[in-house]
Amino acid sequence: MDDILLYFAPFTIPFVVGTLFLFIAVGVKWVLWLMRLPRVDKLLIRRGIFTRQTLIAVWEVIRESLLHVRIFKHNPVLGYMHASLAFGWFLLIAVGWIETTVYLGADFVPLQGHVFFKYFAPHLALQEHYAVFEQLMDALLLIVLSGVMLAWFKRLRSKALGMRRTTKHVLFDRIALSALWFVFPARLVAESLTVAVYGGGGFLTGSIGGWLAEVVPADVLAMVYEPAWWFYSCALGVFFVAMPFSRYMHILTEIPLIFLRRWSLRPNKERRSYDNFEVEACSRCGICIDPCQLQADLGLNDTQSVYFLRDRRYNMLSLKIANNCLMCGRCEAKCPVGINLNTLRLNSRAKRRNIPHEGRYRYLQGIDRSSGMGKVGYFAGCMTSLTPAVQRSMERIFEAAGEEVWYADRDGGVCCGRPLMLSGETDAARKMMESNRALFRKHEITTLVTSCPICLKVFKEEYHLEGVEVLHHTEYIDRLIAEGRITPKSDNTAYTYHDPCELGRGCGIYDAPRRVIGAVGKLAEPKHTRRDALCCGSSLANTVINDGQQLRIAQRMTAELEATGCDTIVTACPLCNKAIARAATRPARDIAEIVAKNIE
Amino acid sequence: MRNINFGYGISRPRVINMDNNDLRKSNAIIAEMPELQACIGCGSCTASCTAGNLTDFNFRKLHTSVRRGEYKGAYEELSKCMLCGKCRLVCPRGINTRGLVMLIKRKLGDF
Repeated sequence: MDDILLYFAPFTIPFVVGTLFLFIAVGVKWVLWLMRLPRVDKLLIRRGIFTRQTLIAVWEVIRESLLHVRIFKHNPVLGYMHASLAFGWFLLIAVGWIETTVYLGADFVPLQGHVFFKYFAPHLALQEHYAVFEQLMDALLLIVLSGVMLAWFKRLRSKALGMRRTTKHVLFDRIALSALWFVFPARLVAESLTVAVYGGGGFLTGSIGGWLAEVVPADVLAMVYEPAWWFYSCALGVFFVAMPFSRYMHILTEIPLIFLRRWSLRPNKERRSYDNFEVEACSRCGICIDPCQLQADLGLNDTQSVYFLRDRRYNMLSLKIANNCLMCGRCEAKCPVGINLNTLRLNSRAKRRNIPHEGRYRYLQGIDRSSGMGKVGYFAGCMTSLTPAVQRSMERIFEAAGEEVWYADRDGGVCCGRPLMLSGETDAARKMMESNRALFRKHEITTLVTSCPICLKVFKEEYHLEGVEVLHHTEYIDRLIAEGRITPKSDNTAYTYHDPCELGRGCGIYDAPRRVIGAVGKLAEPKHTRRDALCCGSSLANTVINDGQQLRIAQRMTAELEATGCDTIVTACPLCNKAIARAATRPARDIAEIVAKNIE
Repeated sequence: MRNINFGYGISRPRVINMDNNDLRKSNAIIAEMPELQACIGCGSCTASCTAGNLTDFNFRKLHTSVRRGEYKGAYEELSKCMLCGKCRLVCPRGINTRGLVMLIKRKLGDF
């Protein structure tokens, strides 16, 4: 009890209250989110908790929550800014705790005793070896302050730190942000004043304190000394109170998120309690804004993932924002927290789905317009039926390879279901999937080739076609060439390849199409390529932007492809093909077309 | 070639009295998607329709009726749409037909 009284001063009250509030608020959030997890998720946790994954998660927490390796990889200056604040602050706390332990022994010291150690124990400054800690703490404070300076500078000129645009913040974020910015300068002032009055101090607080002692009269020093500590405590208190409701909740949400993710919890087509961890782990850093083509090409400033997550978190998500996304996945590829942005966007749409009535899609029953007898199935897809050249080319390739093919939808077929899923009607989409799956089973195919990456993704992820190998036609052609079943001749045509979003970022297929193009001509890469490739703008995921806006995205992206000086633009998605064709000044072809053309 | 119902054919003679039709929902739909007024009724949407190829479903007829305030059965009929998006690609007026399907369903149905 004496200890607590010993380390009590009125100015510590804002800090203590703020800290208590923070722990209670965060605790309540964590417990509620965990309690509301569905049973499958709880089972995953129970299975995962005593495995190696937990240790890997601990390592990842150190890497990501303390050192922020992924932000460093994205942009070293941003990485330093963040790590100097976060890791620097952590070290200040840790070293501060060691400092008090060294000088006071293992006795219990209340929290405020650690944090405001300099206030409570200025006399220690005269002790032996204490200077080591003073210098160390000053160095850490300087590192944190450099981070704060960078953060200020970033607000003024974000471009200097590699960001064209930064996030527009809500009120709670602004309060927390302002408080955070004041915390460390306030600490510097308070500690320097203490040094001015009592002596001691490291290279930073010592010099400033010494200077203050010279220029400021002693009675004035005594007068501002206490208020300076009040200000520091208040800044901390305000920050801690605002934290659970602001972007800074990410500090404490990312830690459980990393563990849960390692125990293989994932967001799903339906909203679940787990989503809370992902949504609140967003730090609103705004790294997702620059890659968004809706921003870069159309100037839309309210629909990027950072704003979508913010709106969803504060329950103000509008239908328009939820739907206004190409789901190209460029932001997801860049997110330093690794949030599953596309899945969260998808299940935000799912909330608004209509319940499919009994009779919906009854007409699908018994539909079978397939032809052919082969064990290799070819599902052209709806979009491919609008690009008959692709379909004809595939038929030519099949013929050249001597493959017997079962054509699933040459005379019309059922949609794969993904477009409906993308607009949140997951249950209705299931009826189409069942219809197609029954068809594949009925004809006992062992390989399923599709020309449409949209279909490919849903076949792979939702159809559960055990025993059937699902291939995109680029993979299939690549395999035919490797096995020597077709030998297209190579010429000197210069091609450039556009990575379709669903094929590249969606299914991770980057190399097969490039090998195929390499076999028939020369390939030049555009500026944005592979995981960083641009979207054609025609994505089925977006039902908000209009035709003109789609065209503008396509034009920007096509211009980049043409800048390679290619003769022909090649892609592997009928939808991208259509989008590029109307924006391009040179021919846009599917991979199947250029291969079929070069077969003897 | 299969017989495709392009939405042209001999319809039974009928009269729509626009004064008797409640155009509020129709107006709301057009207000949210003004580009719909650019429709020239070419029927490309219907001709390319995946669902229309498999069953009796005519999108051109449907959105034309809805614009005229004839909502009866439109929601149920629209539920046949698979939202595959071919109609949007072929529309010579660049109308966001997928958005339109969702919009009409939202205005008329139980979203």
